Amino acid sequence: MSRVEGQSIISVGIDIGTSTTKFIVSHLKYAKVSSHFSLPRYEIVERKIVYESPMYLTPLKEKRDEIDLKTLTGWLEEQYKKAGVNVSEVKSGAVIITGETATKKNAESILHYLAEKSGDFVVAIAGASLEALLAGKGSGAFLRSKEVKGTVANIDIGGGTANVVLFRRGKVLGTITYHVGGRLIELDQNGEITFISPSIEPWLHSKNYRLEVKKKICFKEMQQIVQEMCKDMLNSLTGQKLIRLDDSLIHSTSFQVIPPIDEVMISGGIGQLLEKEAPKTIYDTAVYGDIGPLLAHEVVKEIENCSLKLIKATQTSRATVIGAGMQSAEISGATIHVAPSRLPIRNLPIMMIELDNEQIKNRDYVYEQIKHAMIEWKQYFQGEQEIPFAIHIRGISYCSYAVLKEVAKILFSLYEKYFPRNPVLVVICENDIAKALGQLLVLQSNNKVDIISIDQVVVEQGDYIDIGETINQSMVPVVIKTLAFMKN
Amino acid sequence: MNQADIQQEKLIMELQTKISDKIIDKDEDEKSFHYTVVDWSTYVPNPKFPEGIDELRKVTPARIGVWRTGTRPLTKTILKLQLDHAAAVDAVNGEVSDSLLKEFNLFTVETCYENKEVYLKRPDKGRVLTEEAVKMIQEKCVKNPQVQIVVSDGLSASAIEANLRDIYPALLDALEVNGLTQGTPFFVKGGRVACMDHIGEILQPEVLVLLIGERPGLVSANSMSAYMCYRPRKGTIESERTVISNIHSGGTLPVEAGAYIGTILRKMIDQKASGLHLEL
Amino acid sequence: MKTTITLMGKTYQFKSLKEIMAKANEEKSGDQLAGIHAQDAQERIAARHVLSELTLADIRNNPLLPPEEDEVSRVIEEGVNEKIYASIRNWTVAELREYLLSPNVTNNEITHIRRGLTSEMIAAVTKIMTNLDLIQAASKITVETRCNTTIGQKGRLAGRAQPNHPNDNLQGIKAAIFEALSYGVGDAVIGINPVIDTADSVKAILNMTKELIEKWNIPTQNCVLAHVTTQMRAIKQGGSADLLFQSLAGTEQGNKAFGISVELLDEANELILKEGTAAGPNVWYFETGQGSELSADAHHGIDQLTLEARCYGLAKRYKPFIVNTVVGFIGPEYLYNSKQVIRAGLEDHFMGKLHGLPMGVDVCYTNHMKADQNDMENLAVLLAAAGVNFLIGVAMADDCMLNYQSLSFHDIATLRELLHMRPAPEFERWLEKMGIMENGKLTSIAGDPTLFL
Repeated sequence: MSRVEGQSIISVGIDIGTSTTKFIVSHLKYAKVSSHFSLPRYEIVERKIVYESPMYLTPLKEKRDEIDLKTLTGWLEEQYKKAGVNVSEVKSGAVIITGETATKKNAESILHYLAEKSGDFVVAIAGASLEALLAGKGSGAFLRSKEVKGTVANIDIGGGTANVVLFRRGKVLGTITYHVGGRLIELDQNGEITFISPSIEPWLHSKNYRLEVKKKICFKEMQQIVQEMCKDMLNSLTGQKLIRLDDSLIHSTSFQVIPPIDEVMISGGIGQLLEKEAPKTIYDTAVYGDIGPLLAHEVVKEIENCSLKLIKATQTSRATVIGAGMQSAEISGATIHVAPSRLPIRNLPIMMIELDNEQIKNRDYVYEQIKHAMIEWKQYFQGEQEIPFAIHIRGISYCSYAVLKEVAKILFSLYEKYFPRNPVLVVICENDIAKALGQLLVLQSNNKVDIISIDQVVVEQGDYIDIGETINQSMVPVVIKTLAFMKN
Repeated sequence: MNQADIQQEKLIMELQTKISDKIIDKDEDEKSFHYTVVDWSTYVPNPKFPEGIDELRKVTPARIGVWRTGTRPLTKTILKLQLDHAAAVDAVNGEVSDSLLKEFNLFTVETCYENKEVYLKRPDKGRVLTEEAVKMIQEKCVKNPQVQIVVSDGLSASAIEANLRDIYPALLDALEVNGLTQGTPFFVKGGRVACMDHIGEILQPEVLVLLIGERPGLVSANSMSAYMCYRPRKGTIESERTVISNIHSGGTLPVEAGAYIGTILRKMIDQKASGLHLEL
Repeated sequence: MKTTITLMGKTYQFKSLKEIMAKANEEKSGDQLAGIHAQDAQERIAARHVLSELTLADIRNNPLLPPEEDEVSRVIEEGVNEKIYASIRNWTVAELREYLLSPNVTNNEITHIRRGLTSEMIAAVTKIMTNLDLIQAASKITVETRCNTTIGQKGRLAGRAQPNHPNDNLQGIKAAIFEALSYGVGDAVIGINPVIDTADSVKAILNMTKELIEKWNIPTQNCVLAHVTTQMRAIKQGGSADLLFQSLAGTEQGNKAFGISVELLDEANELILKEGTAAGPNVWYFETGQGSELSADAHHGIDQLTLEARCYGLAKRYKPFIVNTVVGFIGPEYLYNSKQVIRAGLEDHFMGKLHGLPMGVDVCYTNHMKADQNDMENLAVLLAAAGVNFLIGVAMADDCMLNYQSLSFHDIATLRELLHMRPAPEFERWLEKMGIMENGKLTSIAGDPTLFL
C-alpha cells in the first residue's frame, strides 16, 4: 500500500531552431518504484505532452545575425498563457538553440536568459550532439531501438543542420552532425537565389558549385546539388567515405568510424516534408522559399539507394522540442544528502574519479587518484577554482564502511587544500551510497563546507550537470548535458 | 581475426600468465580448482540472437540462459544451485562469533528458544527473553534511551557476520548527523522480530532498531533486515514496524542502509509514529 | 457420536470432533505449534480409528466452526446438495475412502457425490488415506477449466511461468518469461508476484504481459498476484487482466487478516467478469497453503489440514481457473521437513480435486526447512502421477524475489517427457509453431530465451 501512487512535475521544452521555434509543456509523472521494505527509489514513469505550440518563425533582427529577443519572449509569454501554466509552477525542462541559430551573435546569452526566466529548473542546452540525442529520443528512434535488433539512426534535418544519432538496443552509440539543411540555400519561386548560408559555402566550393545570391538557378542544377549533398552525407553514414575532420560537410562528430546502420528515421522540419509530393520544377521547390522540399525528397532517394530501411518517425518537426521538454530530466536516487540552500545549482563541469571495488581499498592509490584529478583540474581551470564543479565517483558496486570513511577523509582534505574558497562540495556517485558518503563528508567538514552528495546518476568526463531542488524531500531532478564531440 | 584482435589476444594472454605466475603457485594449481563466478556460468551454445543473451541476463538475477542436457540442467548450473543452498543452510545453523560482538562492545542475552530446532518450530519462543536476560538488560542498560539498538542472529548468523561492521558504524554516524543519542546496545541470541516488544517493555526506548538476520535466500545467505518501531511494547502490531530488508553487499548496501536508518529514526521521533503511520 | 476407543488394552477418550480431527493428522509442526497434536504415535492412530468409524452425518452435525459464527462455514454449507448428501449421510469415513478407491468408481461417480460432501468430510477422509491412496484417488478426477485456453485434460501437465523480479523491473520479468516459454512453460498462466503493491505498478506489469502475449500470439492468460483490491484498482484504471488473484484462508477471521471477505470477493468477481480481458468462464486464480490461519491466529483450534480443505470450500464458489497450494512456503513452524511437505502436497492436491477444483501445486521449500531440491523432485513426480493440473515453474527453481525454491522449467519439461504428458493442447500447438516442441518433445532450439527478442 502506498499513499502516493504518482505525482507529476511540469516540464517545458523550448526549441529555437534555424527556421522555427517550438514550445511544449509536459507532465512528468514520477512514482515510487520500490517496495516498503527497501530503500526508496523513484522513477519517472510517464511523460505526457499537455500543450504544443504552433510552429513559430524564429524572429531574427534585420541583419539575420541576431535573434530578436523581445519578439521571442513576447511570443513565449503568450504561449505560457495559452498553456495555462505559470512560470513558477515549472520545475523542469530545457531550452535548446539548434542548427544555424546557435551561431547567432546573442545565442548564448538568450539561451541562459530564457532558461532563467522559464521556470525554476529549466536548463540551457546547446550543442549539436545533445541536439541529435534529444531529437532521436523525441522522434521515437530511441524507443524503436529497444524493440529491434539492429542499429537505428535518427537523422534530424532542420533548416541548418542534419543531426544524426545512432541507437542500438536502447544505448546511444554516438552522434554526428552535417551541414545539411533546408534553409542553407534560399530561393524564390522564379529560381532566384536569395540567401546562401556561410556554413555550406566551403562544401559548395569544394564541389565546384558557384552559386551567388540574386542569380537564377534552374531546377536540374539545384536538384543535382541537393542530391550530391545527400549522397555525400549517406556515403559518410554508411562508411563508404571515411570520416575526416576537414570534411566540409561535417559539422561535428563523436565517431571516428560509424558502425553499420540498419534502420533510419528522419525527423525535423524535413521529416515533416517527406509526406509531400516530390517537387518537379523550381516553382514547386521554392514553395517555402528554400530547398526543403527538394532535400526531403532527395534524402529519401539516397537512403533507398543505400538499401537502408526507412522507418516513419512518430514525431518529426517537434522531435527536438519534445526531447528537450520530456526526455532531458532524470531523477537521482532517493537516499542522498543535500544542502537545500545550494539548490538549484547549474552547469557544473564533471571531475571524473574512477575506482573499482579493489582499487578503492588501496588508500594510497585513492589518495593519488584524487590528488591527481584535482591538480589537473586546477591547471585546466586556472584562476577559476571558485566555480563549483561536481566530482563523479564511478565503478564501485560495494564499499565497506572503513573504506568509505577513508575515501571521505581523503576527498575532503584534498578538496579543502586545493579549493579552499569553494563553499560547496558536490559529489555524484554511480551507485546507491550517496547518503552514507554525504554523511561522512558532513562529519569531516564540520559544517565549513556545504555538502551535496547524490547518486544513481551516470555522467561522463566533459559533461555538465544541473541539479534541481529536492522533490518530495528525498530526491533531486538532474539534467546531464553531454558535450562529447571532436570538432565544433 | 584481424591484426588488432590478435594484438589484443596476445596482451590478454600475457596478462593472464603474469597474474597466474604471481598469485597461483604452479604446483598448487595442478592440485586445486579456483572457481570464480564466471566459472559457474553456463551459456546457450547457439542463441538465435547472440548479443541478446547477455542483455537478458543483465536485467534479472534469475538464473536464465543456463541451457540444458536433454531436459536437465548442465552440471555446473546444478552444482551452483546446491552451493548457494548449502550457504543458506549453514547460515541458518551458524552462530555469530564472540570476537565480532566484542568488537562493538555488545553483550549477549538469549531468548527462550532453547535450541535451533525449537527455534525453527516455535517462533513464539524467540519473541520472549529469558528471565536471566531481562535481569542483565536491567542491570547494564540505560533506561528510556532515545534510540535503542539491538542486534540479533535471527535466521542468518552470517548476515550479522557479513554486514555488522558496515551498517553499525554508519548507523552511529547517522545518529550523530541527525542529532540523536543511543542507549546501551546488545546482542540477542535466538531472536525473532517481535522480541522488540519485550525489550521495549523493559527499556522503554523512544525508538528501537533491531538489526536481524533474514531467512536466507539463494541470491544471498547474508541478507539482513532492520526493523524499527516507535515506542515498541507488548501488543505492537506488524504494521506499526518500519522495515528495510535485503541489506547485503549485493542488495541494499549496508553503509547506505545504516545512513538511511538515521533519517527514518529522526522522522519517527518527530512524527511520534512508525510503520504505516509514518510519512517517509 | 462415538469419541472413545480402546486399542491394545489402552483407552483413548477424545473430547470433540475437533480433537479427533487434529490428532488423526500425520505429524506436522503446525499442529504442534497450535498445541493440538497427538501426544504419541499410538494416540494418532487411535484418533484415526475413531474418525474412520464416524459417519458423514456425524461430521456435518458437529460443526468445527458453526455457520452462525463464520462466513466460510456458511459458504460451505450453502454448497451442499441435500439429496445427494441424504444418500450418503450414513456412510462412515472409512466407507467413503473405500468408495473413492474402488475400481468401479470413476470420475463420473466422484463428480456426483462431491456435491453431497462438505470440506470437513473431505478433510476427514484425507486423514485416513495413505500417500499412495491420495495419488490414486486424485488421479481418477479430471477437472477441466477454461480461461483463454483450456487446461486440466487427462495426460496434460501445464506450468505457471513465475518470472518474478526483486524490484519488478519489466525488462527483467520479460527476460524470465522468455526463458520459461523457451522450455514450454507458461500454459497455465504467466503470473507475476509483484514487490510493489500499487495500482500503477500492477497495471504496468499486466499490460506488459498482455502485450507480450498478443505480440507472440501465446495461448495463455496473464495475472499479477497483488492484493485483490490493488488488482481491482489497476483494472479500473485500464489494466488488462485475464485472471484475478487472491490468497484464501479457511476462516472468516483468517480472510480478514488477508484483507478480504466473501462480500469483497463477490464484488471482485463481478468486476473481473465485466472488465477482465479473458474469454472465460473461469477467471480466478486462488492460492492457499496449510498454516496460514494459524499464522494469523485465526485457526479456532482447528488443525491446518481441515482449514486447508475449508479454503477449497470457499474457492469453489468462484469457479476458479486455477487453484494452487503453495505447499512449503510458509516455513518450518508449519511443515518442518520434506516428509511433512510431501504429505501436505499430496493431501492438498487430493482435497482440492475432490472439491472439483483445478488443482496445481507450488512444490517448494524455504531455506530454513529441512528439505532440499531432491525432495521437491520427488514430490513433483508423485503429483504428476496423481494428475496435477499444473505446477509452478521458476528459472532454475530459485525465486530471486520471494527467496524460496520451487521447481525449475527443466523439471516440468522432464516430468512431461518422463511420464508422457503434454502441455495444454492449444499451447502445445503454439510451441510446435514456434519450433520449440515436436511430437511432445523439446526441439534443439528449446531453452534459448533470445527466440523472443
